[in-house]
Amino acid sequence: MSYFGLDRFFTFLKTIKNYGGLKASLYKIYRMDSLRPGTLVGTDKFGNKYYENNAYFYGRNRWVEYAPQYGTDYDGSQVPAEWFGWLHYKTDYLPSQDAARPKYKWMMEHTQNLSGTPGQFMPYSTTQPKVQAWVPPKK
Amino acid sequence: MLRSTAVPVKEALNNPVLLRTLVGSFSSVPFKKRDHSTTPVQDQANQTSLQATEKYKPYSPFQNTSNLAEFALARLDDLLNWGRKGSLWPLTFGLACCAVEMMHIAAPRYDMDRYGVVFRASPRQSDCIIVAGTLTNKMAPALRKVYDQMPEPRWVISMGSCANGGGYYHYSYSVVRGCDRIVPVDIYVPGCPPTAEALMYGVLQLQKKIKRYNTLQMWYRK
Repeated sequence: MSYFGLDRFFTFLKTIKNYGGLKASLYKIYRMDSLRPGTLVGTDKFGNKYYENNAYFYGRNRWVEYAPQYGTDYDGSQVPAEWFGWLHYKTDYLPSQDAARPKYKWMMEHTQNLSGTPGQFMPYSTTQPKVQAWVPPKK
Repeated sequence: MLRSTAVPVKEALNNPVLLRTLVGSFSSVPFKKRDHSTTPVQDQANQTSLQATEKYKPYSPFQNTSNLAEFALARLDDLLNWGRKGSLWPLTFGLACCAVEMMHIAAPRYDMDRYGVVFRASPRQSDCIIVAGTLTNKMAPALRKVYDQMPEPRWVISMGSCANGGGYYHYSYSVVRGCDRIVPVDIYVPGCPPTAEALMYGVLQLQKKIKRYNTLQMWYRK
């Protein structure tokens, strides 16, 4: 079976079945350029899903599938802080398994990078400008 | 000296038995040690508190179109932005050590070619310029000249502290305090130098920005 490479074909079929049919699999390929079988390890509070498959080599064996609300506009800052460590191999413990995580009530809710949205950080100066802008001469 | 004598006392206070004898009662002692263990615990409650809606966000940022012409122009804008963000060719303007990190995003690990980002040596054939490193007074006219040679939809990524605001050389006599005094900057990538990953994120943020451009719709409204 594995000599002829047939097991890979069955793995492929199983992956498609896991993702919920051909159409959902094609959408997954469109959205994240790959179709990877993996076990669902956890879901964070924003709906992102975290997968692991140790058949892949270290560095590719953990990944995140962003929540459908982000569409194709996902980026790395949408992974909350408690999952960051697991996803980046800082720790092997899932956030729910780690007793050493401090939980204080003053800890802020995670936000994604707000650049380009109305909530972005805009610094401003309270001092007089020290340089004068160059005005192009009119002909 | 005082500190080293105080430390054993502090250690002893952590011992509840000793504390009980000191207090002299067997009632509940208000003593709590911060529990920091490195052993895994069993899964607590699955933390899916505010569950997001299972609704897919549509690709296009232009969703509220009122008539057919606006709809058609919105889709044309989508097509134009898709083409622009899918083949973003940066001009390398490597000035210092940031340029080494800029080389790294071209290398196989951060492989920028998969996003259609290809380094281009000529300003006339590039869409975007990555100012990587300290911009000196001597280099500033050259940067402006190269920027002026680029064709019109053009973007600037300022990479590293020195290009963002002078950075380490802010008080030097020969350094421009930020390349945004010379050219308009779209994306600032912080770091000294930023990692290749950070620059990659900056490129992706620029793609996100290009996706929101409404060139044709503004032309129609005028």
